[in-house]
Amino acid sequence: MSEITLRNVIKRYGAVEVVHGIDLDVEEGEFVVLLGPSGCGKTTTLRMVAGLEDVSDGNLSIGETRVNEVAPKDRGVAMVFQNYALYPHMTVRQNMEFALKPLGLSAKEVARRVDEIANMLGLSELMARRPAQLSGGQRQRVAMGRAMVRTPDVFLFDEPLSNLDAKLRTQVRLEIAKLHNRLGTTVLYVTHDQVEAMTLADKIVIMRDGHIEQVGTPEQVYSQPDNMFVATFIGSPPMNMIPAQVRERELQANGLALKVPPRFEGRLAEGQSVTIGIRPNGLSLAGAEMPNAAPARVEVTEYLGNEALLDLRVGPHELIAEVPALGRPAPGTEISVQFDPDAIHLFDTETGASLSR
Amino acid sequence: MAYIRKRNRSIFLIFLLPAILVLFLTTIYPMLYAGYLSFRSYDLAKPFVPRVFVGLSNYQNVLTTGDFLHALKITFQLMAITLSIQLFIGVGLALLVTQRLPGMSIARTLLLIPMMISPVIVGLVWLFLYFPELGYLNYFLSYIGIGPISWITSPDWALWAIAIADIWQWTPFIMMGTAAALTSLSPEPYEAAKIDGNTRWQVFRYVTLPQLKPVLVSLLFLRAIDAFKIYDIIFVLTKGGPGDSTEVLSLYIYRQSFTFWQMGVGAAASFVSLIIIVVLITFFFKSLNRDPMQS
Repeated sequence: MSEITLRNVIKRYGAVEVVHGIDLDVEEGEFVVLLGPSGCGKTTTLRMVAGLEDVSDGNLSIGETRVNEVAPKDRGVAMVFQNYALYPHMTVRQNMEFALKPLGLSAKEVARRVDEIANMLGLSELMARRPAQLSGGQRQRVAMGRAMVRTPDVFLFDEPLSNLDAKLRTQVRLEIAKLHNRLGTTVLYVTHDQVEAMTLADKIVIMRDGHIEQVGTPEQVYSQPDNMFVATFIGSPPMNMIPAQVRERELQANGLALKVPPRFEGRLAEGQSVTIGIRPNGLSLAGAEMPNAAPARVEVTEYLGNEALLDLRVGPHELIAEVPALGRPAPGTEISVQFDPDAIHLFDTETGASLSR
Repeated sequence: MAYIRKRNRSIFLIFLLPAILVLFLTTIYPMLYAGYLSFRSYDLAKPFVPRVFVGLSNYQNVLTTGDFLHALKITFQLMAITLSIQLFIGVGLALLVTQRLPGMSIARTLLLIPMMISPVIVGLVWLFLYFPELGYLNYFLSYIGIGPISWITSPDWALWAIAIADIWQWTPFIMMGTAAALTSLSPEPYEAAKIDGNTRWQVFRYVTLPQLKPVLVSLLFLRAIDAFKIYDIIFVLTKGGPGDSTEVLSLYIYRQSFTFWQMGVGAAASFVSLIIIVVLITFFFKSLNRDPMQS
C-alpha cells in the first residue's frame, strides 16, 4: 500500500510557519503534482514526505503507517532531485549500485537489477561514464534510474526538469509519463511549471504561501478555478481580470457593461463587487452590434503561428485576446471585442473566491 | 595587444629584473654554490685553506657513514607518525566543526590558534609542559596514575614528544583545509544517500572520502614538505638528542655544516635531501594525475 495522507501538516522553522496545516490524499498509483510559485511550500511538503524535513505538527502517513518519526530509508520512497544529486566520483553503474548497497543483495542480483533499469532507460551505453561526462538529459535519466533500482512504493520528484533546456524538457517529460504508465507507482512531483503539471498529473495540488488553494484534475483547475489565484496561475497567457459591480443585471466595469450570464442569475446581489475573469480564448472579434461586445483598440499583436495574441485596451482595462492568426487586426486598429458568456468566470473581489459554485 | 607587447618587451624585462635578481641572489646562486661546495673540501674553521676538489667523496661520506641514513630514518619516522595522526584527527575535527551545532564557529577559530604561533614558541611552550618534575603534563598524568615520563630526556619518548608538539601545531591546518572542502560539497548526494538508507560509515567511505581525496593529497603533500625540513621545534626541545635519537635531516645538515664546520659534507647532504624531495614531488603529481576526479 503506497497511498500518502497528510492531515493538518504544519512545518515551522523556529517561530516562522511555512506550511500551514495542509490536508492531502494521494491514492495508490496516482500521479500528483504540487504546483505553485517559488516559496509556496511545495518543496518543503515533498521533503517532509521524503523525511528530509521533520513534520512540526499533524500526521503524515504512507500506506497505513504514520511516518512522522520514521527514518527516510524506512519510508519506501525514492527521490529524484533538481540537481540530480549524483555522486560525482562514481560511474553511472556505481551510482545505481550504491543505492542498492543498504539492501545487502548478492552481486548477481545487484547487476541484474541495475542492467534491467539501465535497459529500460536507455543507459546501457553510458554505464562506465561519470556524471561530468554526461549531458543534462542523461544525468536526469541516471538520477531516475538510481531511484528506480530500489523499486520504491513512492517516487518523489523535486523539479526534475528545471535544469534542462526546453526541447529536452518535453522529451524527458514524455519519458516520465511513459514510465509512470508502465510502473504504476505512486508519484508526488513538485514543479512551478504549469505545462509539466497539466501534462503529467492525474491530480494537481496548487499551493500558495503554505496553503493549498485547490486540488483537482488538470481540467478542473483550468476550467473551474476555485479562486482568483488559481485562475490567474493556471493558463498562459493568464486569465484577464476586470473589477466590476453588479448593477441592474449587468456587470459594469468602467466603460464596459456585460450581461450577467444566466448561470449566475440569482447568485449576485445588486451593487456587489465582483471580478470578471475571462481567458484570452473567451474573447473574439465581433461586429459592433453584437451583444456583450465592447469597443477596443489593438495595442500590440503577437503572432504565434496558428493563433495571435492581441493586447487590447478596452476603456481603462488592458486585456489579452487569443484569435486566429489569419485575418488578425493590425496594431492601432479600433475593433469590437466580444465576451463569450459561457467563458465568463466571476469572483468575489474581496475574498477572491469563485462565485460559480 | 600583440603590437604593444612587441614594443614593450624590453620594459617587461626591466620590471621583471628586480625579482629575477633577488631570486638569483637568494636562491639560485646559493644553490649553485652549494653544488660547487659539495664536490670540495671546505672547513669553515680554516677559511684560508684552499677548497680542494675531492670528487664524490663528500657524497660517499654522507651515504656511507650511517649518520645521514639514521637522520633520514628519523625524519621519515617522524613524518609517518605526525602525518598519519594529523590526518586522522584533522579530518575528524573537520567533520565535527562543519556540523550545524552551536559553538562550532568559535571552536573552529580556537582550534586554529596553534597554527598561528611561531614554531620556536611552540617548542618553548611544550618544553615547559614536558619538564620532568615541574611540567604540567606529568602533573596531570600523575592524577591518572601514570608515573613521571622523561619526555625529552629519554630516547624512547623524545621523538614522541616532538611528534606531539608538531601534531598539536599542525593538525588545525589539515582541519581547516578539509573543513573548507567539506563545506563546498553539494548536500544533495547526501540526502539521496539518506533516503537510500546508506549508513553514515558507507556515506563517509564511499561518498565523502573519494571527493575529499584531491584536497587531502594536497594537504598531506604540503605537510610532508614541512615535516621533511622540520627544525625549530626540535632545536628548542631536544637539539636532536638524547644522543642522536631525534636528529632529523635538517639538524644533521646543520651539525655537519656549523658544528663540525664540514661545509662540503653539509652541502652534499643538502643535495641528497633535495633529490629525495624532488622524487616525492614527482610521485605526488603522478598520483594526482591518476586521480579519477581529474578526468
